[in-house]
Amino acid sequence: MKRTNQLNRREFLAGAAAGAAAVSFPYFVPSGALAARGRGGANERITMAHIGVGGMGGSHLRGMVKRRDKGEVNIAAVCDADENRLANAVKTAGKGVQPYRDYRYILQRKDIDAVVIATPDHWHGVQMVHAAECGKHVYVEKPACCTIEEGKAMVAAAKKNKVSVQVGSQGRSQPEAYLAHRYLVNGNIGHISRVDCFHYPSPEDNNPVPDSAPPPELDWDLWLGPLRWRPYNKRYCHGVFRWVLESGGGQIRDRGAHVMSCAMWWMGADGTGPVTIEATGTAPTKGLWDSAVLMKVTYTFKNPDWTLTWTQMPREQLPSAEKRTGKEPGGRISRPGYGAIYRGDKGEFIHWGGDGGTWAEKKAREWKPSAGAKDVYKSPGHKEDWFKGIKTGAKTIMNIEAAVGVANLCVLGNLSFILGRKLRWDPVKQEIVGDEQARRMMGRPQRHPYHL
Amino acid sequence: MSNNKLKKVSLTAAATGVMAGVASAASNEAVDELIAKIRGKSDKVRGDALLRAGEAGAPAVKPLAKAMDDEDVEVTRAAKRALWKIVRHAGRPRARDEKRVVAAELIGLLGDGQPTSVRREVLWMLSEIGPRRSVKAIAALLSNKELREDARMVLQRIGGRQSLAALKAGLKAAPKDFKLNIAQSLRQRGVNVRGLACVKLVPTKKTNVKPVK
Repeated sequence: MKRTNQLNRREFLAGAAAGAAAVSFPYFVPSGALAARGRGGANERITMAHIGVGGMGGSHLRGMVKRRDKGEVNIAAVCDADENRLANAVKTAGKGVQPYRDYRYILQRKDIDAVVIATPDHWHGVQMVHAAECGKHVYVEKPACCTIEEGKAMVAAAKKNKVSVQVGSQGRSQPEAYLAHRYLVNGNIGHISRVDCFHYPSPEDNNPVPDSAPPPELDWDLWLGPLRWRPYNKRYCHGVFRWVLESGGGQIRDRGAHVMSCAMWWMGADGTGPVTIEATGTAPTKGLWDSAVLMKVTYTFKNPDWTLTWTQMPREQLPSAEKRTGKEPGGRISRPGYGAIYRGDKGEFIHWGGDGGTWAEKKAREWKPSAGAKDVYKSPGHKEDWFKGIKTGAKTIMNIEAAVGVANLCVLGNLSFILGRKLRWDPVKQEIVGDEQARRMMGRPQRHPYHL
Repeated sequence: MSNNKLKKVSLTAAATGVMAGVASAASNEAVDELIAKIRGKSDKVRGDALLRAGEAGAPAVKPLAKAMDDEDVEVTRAAKRALWKIVRHAGRPRARDEKRVVAAELIGLLGDGQPTSVRREVLWMLSEIGPRRSVKAIAALLSNKELREDARMVLQRIGGRQSLAALKAGLKAAPKDFKLNIAQSLRQRGVNVRGLACVKLVPTKKTNVKPVK
């Protein structure tokens, strides 16, 4: 594994002061220097650990290995409940990286500054809160939370422990997201009163199987974690957990946390929430997966008044994608099956994607701001923005408050679908109003000891 | 089965509150029809029946619970989902009587005569609509090794003084290996539990994977 032996300025000075012993450990980052309440300097190398290293977690790890090889970060540990995935991650990460099955070993290590959490959704809240309580900065995959109460705990933990949290709705950091945002806030389609998000359906489980014993490489108890106990079934994992309401929640939570993230940001609606949520949809007729296949959710916002909708529709009803040359900032549209239409009183604007690929309509890309035009924050990259947050204390582009606001949209949409009725929401108190059953469902008790 | 027929059954049950007295021929027929479709072989027929199951209400609770123990995994799933539909429908605002009779039927399914898988699911149904009078039956399961973890989580969620008292009593009576679990629920309910330190951050699971040398 290629690694740099160059010392950055801070390490060099520390080494010089401490004598030759320090110089002989070029990757040493002062124990807890970044993880503690203070902030490291701009040149400090952050020491990382990765929790959840299959699927998206594997992608995060490979990206971080490249950063490490460029001397930007250290990688100290990897963790997974699946031994096969863990073994692969250790190979990817190379020498000096310690494998763990139980993420809490990582949280005990004082030399680790930050963690990247890419476990199934039902673990996000608990692991982010635990990491924050142990003083670690956190990058956690979207959606932030599975319940309203989890989201509140995540916000509180980040605030109390003064850690930097970035949630993986990376659409906000894409080049064309900046162009779209700038185009919209400068009134090019006038006052926007409605945003219609579109997505293809959630899949049905067309290969259902009965429950069985878990495979030997998987710690089923740990995979379930906070969820109530149930027997293992192949159709829970991996990856497909997202089609189960309790552990994933379907397209509305998986991609809604991307597309609606852009909507909330571009509409200036972070920190706000809807006052009513009404969902309809169709449920699968067989198999383990129970997320809505087709779905329509309408969110009504007040002061200012606008409407947000989320629709999972048959593929043939999706808007057609723009033709491109591939030379645009975001390149060709590789995932045209989701996005959103912004409806203003002077016109409409459409974007596709909203995650790692975010593609803005041509008119936004070609718009030239005049003198005095409003500018918006341009992310240096989703991870770079997080590193900046760690080192300077600056608020990240998908900070935990914003991310919980978006995740709550997903959670409330599913709750309305599950309950088959319209919900009323108090966005200030962050509570469901006038529905005792729905209020109980704002939280979900968690198994011992995997709890907030 | 028509929507109207199911609605009639459900409303009749709610109005009288006495299940034995409302088992009219019409209601029996509607519930039988629902169960027949749930136990059928067609995914589509089963799916359509599921969509309308919510309004079947209390009379369908026990027959569906029985179907949850079917040998066919798809029948089991469909019955479970149909029962959840009933719970979600009965829990809607301003349906107090309907909720009460459905909850009463569910409480009746917590006994030893039911399979553990059914009792576990019923516990969670009661976590959403269980009234104060469900607390005693749920608390009794704190001494059942297979169901006690679900029972304490359900008591945590139900809220109110009765469930809090049941958790406190459960803590006193609990064996050593379960005290921490109940202590967690009490903490979540705002109780300061002394002498039982929270172990949520204590690692326990070791890997067999070795680092690269």
